Amino acid sequence: MSAIGTCLIAFLFGSIVGVLVQRSRFCNTAALRDAMLFKTYRNTKALLVAMMILTIGFTLFITFGEGNPMYFDVGLNTFAGLFIFGVGMVLAGACTVSTWVKTGEGNVGALWALIFTFVGMFLFSLVWSANYWPPAPASMTGEPNFEALQLGYANAATLQEKFGIPAIFFGLIQAGVLYYIYRAILRKEAGQAESHRLAQAKSATAQPAE
Amino acid sequence: MASEFFKKTLDPVIALVAIAVLDIFLFVIVGAWTVGGGETMMTGLIAQSFMGDDLERLPFWTLVFEPDPTYWKIYISLGMLFGAFVSAIIAKEFYIRFPRRVSEWVLITIGGLLMGIGIRLAFVCNVSTFFGMGPEMNMGGYLAISGIIAGAWVGSMIYKKILEG
Repeated sequence: MSAIGTCLIAFLFGSIVGVLVQRSRFCNTAALRDAMLFKTYRNTKALLVAMMILTIGFTLFITFGEGNPMYFDVGLNTFAGLFIFGVGMVLAGACTVSTWVKTGEGNVGALWALIFTFVGMFLFSLVWSANYWPPAPASMTGEPNFEALQLGYANAATLQEKFGIPAIFFGLIQAGVLYYIYRAILRKEAGQAESHRLAQAKSATAQPAE
Repeated sequence: MASEFFKKTLDPVIALVAIAVLDIFLFVIVGAWTVGGGETMMTGLIAQSFMGDDLERLPFWTLVFEPDPTYWKIYISLGMLFGAFVSAIIAKEFYIRFPRRVSEWVLITIGGLLMGIGIRLAFVCNVSTFFGMGPEMNMGGYLAISGIIAGAWVGSMIYKKILEG
């Protein structure tokens, strides 16, 4: 496909995502923060459902050698980078998606977060240009490189290749684990609703009779 | 029907099911949904517009991300901005709003910087983590999910301390 065609598809995809996220107020930051701080799971449940569908969809295509999985080595930097990102997104109150969506709604704070995300990226490029870590994609081998704190590359496709078992099999296991977490959240919510109902009933009976 | 869509808040589960199905199509055509890569390319293009050829003195912008306006991931972000803007206009939810307190500006500034640094250090953003690498069962997806959960927990504790004053 031509570069322009790819860019058009990307723009169309992004536009639909923008509308859906704007209408649903979905927020990845809230999916983690609200579950941890406020024990509310509106966004967490949506994230888990999406991950279940994606896991089955991606691993099904990977089984038949289709799709375009990300290909680069991972390592300590992957954990550390997302740790730093996780702190940042809670402080900023927005993630990469909601900064764009909220900016589209006229939120200047989100635009400010976006500008400083760019600044952070540029600052990192200065540091990388001095120490060349983590390794550039061109020097990645797919194999562990402990000296550079890299574990290499592995995904559903490499599992299929290594064990001779279709990738979808592993995908179904992962989807099952995600579903287990989803069910646990539903049970927790049912428990919260029940204790709320009991507390209300108790306060109603505690009212003095008139 | 269409006007109803822009009147009520959509259930995020429905929104995310639709996004997941579209993301599978995107994965087959070109690659899974991601945002950080496009943002990095935009950073490079903006820096190039200010610095010109001087940007090449920074090896990051020749070895990792060579500025290229035809990089498809840029257009996902621009699409999200466009879609959200149109949606907010139709729903009459578009209005310019500013953070009120200085402390909010400070937190957003620090948060934004950390997000940018984190994305580049990891080579992935939160979207690639949950909507790309994780479902591809990439080892990096598990490292990234562990990292973002730990980071969000630390961030939440800091946030709680600030809320409690």
